[in-house]
Amino acid sequence: MISLIGFSSLFLSLVSNLVVIITFKFSKTLTINKVFYSALYSGTFFIVLSFLSLVWAFISSDFSNFTVFQNSHSSKPLLYKITGTWGNHEGSMLLWLMIMCFCNMFFSFNKILEINLKKLTIFFQSLLFILFCLFVITTSNPFLVNSLNVNEGLGLNPILQDPALAIHPPVLYIGYIGYSLVLSLAIAGLILDKIDLLWIKATKTWALFCWSMLTGGIALGSYWAYYELGWGGWWFWDPVENLSLMPWIAGLALVHSLTIVHQEQLLKQWVVFLSILCFSLSIIGTFLIRSGILTSVHSFATDPSRGIFILILFLVITGFSFIIFILKSKESSGRLNLLFINKTSALIINNIVMLIACFTVLLGTIYPIIIEVLTDKRISVGAPYYNSVVLPILLPGFLLMSIAPALSWQTNKLNKAKYFFYTLVFVSIFSLFITYLTNFYIWGFIGTTLGLWIIAASLLSIFNNYKASNKISLHNNALFAHIGIGIVILGITFSSVFQIESNHSIKINETINIGKYSLKLNKIEIVEKSNYQELIGNFNLYKQGKLLSSIKPGQRYYHVPKTITTEAGIYHNWLQDFYLIINKQKENIWSIKMYQNPLVSFIWIGALFMIISGIIGMIKK
Amino acid sequence: MEVRFQRLLIILLSLILLAGSILLILFNSKKNLVFFYTPTELIRSDSETEDIVRVGGYVEKGSIINKGNNSYSFNITDNINTITIQYNGFLPDLFKEEQGTVIEGKLIERSKVKAFKVFAKHDENYMPASIQKQLKQTDYWNKKY
Repeated sequence: MISLIGFSSLFLSLVSNLVVIITFKFSKTLTINKVFYSALYSGTFFIVLSFLSLVWAFISSDFSNFTVFQNSHSSKPLLYKITGTWGNHEGSMLLWLMIMCFCNMFFSFNKILEINLKKLTIFFQSLLFILFCLFVITTSNPFLVNSLNVNEGLGLNPILQDPALAIHPPVLYIGYIGYSLVLSLAIAGLILDKIDLLWIKATKTWALFCWSMLTGGIALGSYWAYYELGWGGWWFWDPVENLSLMPWIAGLALVHSLTIVHQEQLLKQWVVFLSILCFSLSIIGTFLIRSGILTSVHSFATDPSRGIFILILFLVITGFSFIIFILKSKESSGRLNLLFINKTSALIINNIVMLIACFTVLLGTIYPIIIEVLTDKRISVGAPYYNSVVLPILLPGFLLMSIAPALSWQTNKLNKAKYFFYTLVFVSIFSLFITYLTNFYIWGFIGTTLGLWIIAASLLSIFNNYKASNKISLHNNALFAHIGIGIVILGITFSSVFQIESNHSIKINETINIGKYSLKLNKIEIVEKSNYQELIGNFNLYKQGKLLSSIKPGQRYYHVPKTITTEAGIYHNWLQDFYLIINKQKENIWSIKMYQNPLVSFIWIGALFMIISGIIGMIKK
Repeated sequence: MEVRFQRLLIILLSLILLAGSILLILFNSKKNLVFFYTPTELIRSDSETEDIVRVGGYVEKGSIINKGNNSYSFNITDNINTITIQYNGFLPDLFKEEQGTVIEGKLIERSKVKAFKVFAKHDENYMPASIQKQLKQTDYWNKKY
């Protein structure tokens, strides 16, 4: 029953969006104009109804729905029944559609844009919605009826039963799919030849919004990987991760380029190009993951027939967009104010660096496919490739970003260059000192210097701005974001270069020494929960005899589906994390692995800085 | 500095960046690629000892030996040939006899690998698509894995 309501609503939202498309042409008259907007809102209403029906089917464990049967179980806690809605391919595609509609609706509230441009954007967004809606209905219908008569479901993959993973997909999706509106806006602007200041303003708001959400989504995902996978790391250059990183980098280039256009009214084509690129990268990512062409450790139900459909969608959308782009974009008049080195040239270098980085990640991700097709040999491209290619490519960008905001548009003079130079010298000596005290690693030195320098130089710029205007204004938001990057760089450098990993065997009541610290295993407990049984090791961590904290790593045995998951025990501390995992070795002997990850929490603190400054950028005047 | 000279500098700098990146990619994609093999392919391949390889297959029944201190040895098989793996570290949660696994490590003898990493299937059907295809061709693909 509920599936029927869900499917009819899905169908009605498709119809509503068709009405949007049809009435667009005649919406000059007042009545039809009303129909146009009503259809848009009813489309949103129906897709929300459809989504809620699916959520309800999950909550009420309605196993006559095939998606619920495959991905849920009645013994699951309520939270994971709800989040299980988007923990699978079909449900997540419904979420995808809902976000597309919401973007369209919120965009229609825009009051500053010219009415034709606004309507044409809504038209294209509805068109995109219809394409994806057809994809969902034909290949991934979440409301299929289960032909088996069952009273229990197959269960949700236990590693997805986690609070961080409950909110990670929606946040990531809002960013990922929000770029569809940026694309619609770009095409509408091209066709009407209205790439003006208002267009830039609207695009900037959306681009910042999507980018902030994407940052949040990626940060949540990496945090989940950190504590749930039990591998001691937080980023593995897995295809799924790479594919979310690419629109993020392109989106970052877009946000930066929008500031050039803002100042110079130039480079419009470039901005439009990036707007199209962002959503294209989102779709190609979805295609590669959902089709099963790339195997990732993160599981997703894969199906080649879906892959072909998404590939067609990709070709149609991207192809159409780029054709419009080529046909409609004009030779831009006026010349760039390129100097060595002013803000314009710094931003151009930034864009070059980002696009190369983006391309490198894409290449590494699809290289195995190319090689297999060409030579029939199977290869894997692992972390060493990315670390040794992407990081050096990003270096000039990082070097530049500390001073770029302080550069001038018109001249090649850096205001108060002396102070920036002193800061750099001071910071390098300081980090040389730090790395010398620990162990000297070249990457440790470079990372520490860069991180500290970006933070120091950004603070210096904020201070200069404060002195010039006597107040701290919201216009410093880009500098806040740069400080965030500096913090992330410090976190990455310390947690990877200075990570300490150790393996031990331990018995109950035994104490072992790990450097300055000692660890005691008090007892092993077995806890029964409704859908799993957990084995928990109860450890105490001491520093020179003083109790710091207890740490409780464990292993969970899920009943449905039968799976074991590792639950890392983490003791967070501002300076470092103690990350512990436990494994049974022999009778009464337990193997433990401990990672000491210095400054790892900086990674997520820095991400928070970036998100906040992105949102400030959206709301500031 | 003259404006034209400054522009030239910026363009040169960009080109250097571009060229540098391409060189980096070319250099590293040669060095950092790891080849994927089934046991039979590994034995027939022209890999030399000390090479880094990935091997995928099934853990042979009764071959897991726990040497204590997190040191293990086991065999990976494709039902034709068998490779012995030595591993020091934590075996993944889902690592079991007769289950699919992929290891990455250094070749120390023709059919012996010292593994750095052991991956087990992560969901119902985890096995790299390409290895799966290979195993299907040699009739050693069984849905129960």
